[in-house]
Amino acid sequence: MTTTKTPVSFRPRELVVTEDGSGHLVGSRCPTCGAHYFPTREVCAGCLTEDLETVALPRRGTLYTYTVVHQSTPAFETPYVLGYVDVEGPVRVMGQIDLDPGDVEIGMELELKIVPWGTDDEGRTVWGYRFGGVA
Amino acid sequence: MTDVYVIGIGMTQFGKHPDRTAASLGAEAVRAAIHDAGIDPRAIQTGYAGHVFQPMVTGQQVLAQVGLAGIPLANVENACSSGATAIRGSYLDILAGVADVSLAFGTEHLTGAFKGAFTPGEDDPEAAVGATMPAVYAMRARRYMEEFGLTRSQLARISVKNKRNAALNPLAHFKKDITIDDVLAARPIAEPFGLLDCSPVSDGAAAVILASGDWVKRHGDSSRAVRLAASALRTGEVETAPGSMTFEVLTHKTARDAYEAAGVGPEDVDFAEVHDCFTIAEILRIEGLGLFDQGTYPEAVERGEADLGGRFPVNPSGGLLGKGHPLAATGVAQVVELTKQLRGEAEDRQIEGARIGIAHCRGGKAAGVEGAACTVQILMR
Ligand SMILES: [Zn+2]
Repeated sequence: MTTTKTPVSFRPRELVVTEDGSGHLVGSRCPTCGAHYFPTREVCAGCLTEDLETVALPRRGTLYTYTVVHQSTPAFETPYVLGYVDVEGPVRVMGQIDLDPGDVEIGMELELKIVPWGTDDEGRTVWGYRFGGVA
Repeated sequence: MTDVYVIGIGMTQFGKHPDRTAASLGAEAVRAAIHDAGIDPRAIQTGYAGHVFQPMVTGQQVLAQVGLAGIPLANVENACSSGATAIRGSYLDILAGVADVSLAFGTEHLTGAFKGAFTPGEDDPEAAVGATMPAVYAMRARRYMEEFGLTRSQLARISVKNKRNAALNPLAHFKKDITIDDVLAARPIAEPFGLLDCSPVSDGAAAVILASGDWVKRHGDSSRAVRLAASALRTGEVETAPGSMTFEVLTHKTARDAYEAAGVGPEDVDFAEVHDCFTIAEILRIEGLGLFDQGTYPEAVERGEADLGGRFPVNPSGGLLGKGHPLAATGVAQVVELTKQLRGEAEDRQIEGARIGIAHCRGGKAAGVEGAACTVQILMR
């Protein structure tokens, strides 16, 4: 039996979760032209540089747009607020928003939150992300 | 370089066909196109079959049913642009001199393959956090509202227009006029959209037969042949920085390719069939195609300019919202409608004096890419 203290991320390529319950999204940065990508890329679309750096994306960003989803796949309980958040890079990331729909506004500042997303085959908590209001 | 003509069109009833398969629907549309062209089917030299959620080699199953097995045929998947991409295959075969006559069709038995909200590919990181296609377009609508003052009832007006046109189209999925209040009262899907802002899950197939100008001169009925002056295809570019979600660069660039190939500009076009998978989508397509300035189309629709009989009719067939959206059949059905209009055979939906029509399809979504596949075709009398 394997036990590890490192929390399990729902998608390790895109989200790193640390032991203290914090974490960050994972993007790529082009060392040649500075372009950022999420999800990570193998090649820069701007200048075709191949050796992109893997970087932690900033945790805060600005809401570009959003919706309240009422019909989804069986994997998601509805309704939920879904939005696109622009973080410094710049790069745009989609995520659910942990706020009442009435409190959501385009242009507001939001912050990454690591949240329980489900359990894996071994019964461990799997962690995902949402965006929430800035404290 | 030779010219390419549409010489035959065929289409099944769009709607729910619980007892049919994609192959049987495809065969019905292909037979109808052969009869419409009035040709010996053995004249057809190559084929392209668009389908998305169907069994592999559905195209060959169709050929077997219409007696055409033996010719080179490729199955084509490009999400909602699959059918239009199939047409491009036939178009290129004729331009290259590989074929004088080529068949393209799209077929989809969607109700048998699929239920509920559409999502991007299963492994897509956006699907993993709850993206659905309606949600992505709803977010674009919300942003457009913020930037251009689009109102909820202006959005609804697009669905009302397209369903009114569909009520005049015997092959359309929807056959009933609706009101703006009906759209506003429908079950919510992804705000601001309700059910009537979204195209339905439909079954259906459509087929076209293309021929070279020389072949039409020698064997065809040139009075009914309509020229396919452009068939452009592009893939969305990876965004190096977050782009606008209220202007479609992909549509704009694909249209530029098509206008250039056809030697016309947006000001020359008389009417359009565009990919209105959601109400906002019609706005984004029409403005991306350069047919109206950005931010101005919603008010033009309110004034009736995009109605049948208006200054610039959009989606006379009923569009995806009214005619239905059997994914791969959609792009072919658009060319079927353009051909009917340009032949003067559109009956109650006829646009008087229509001379140049444009068709636009756009399909697929991948995180970080503006859109997957986009096609623009221009037909001329
Ligand atoms: Zn670069």
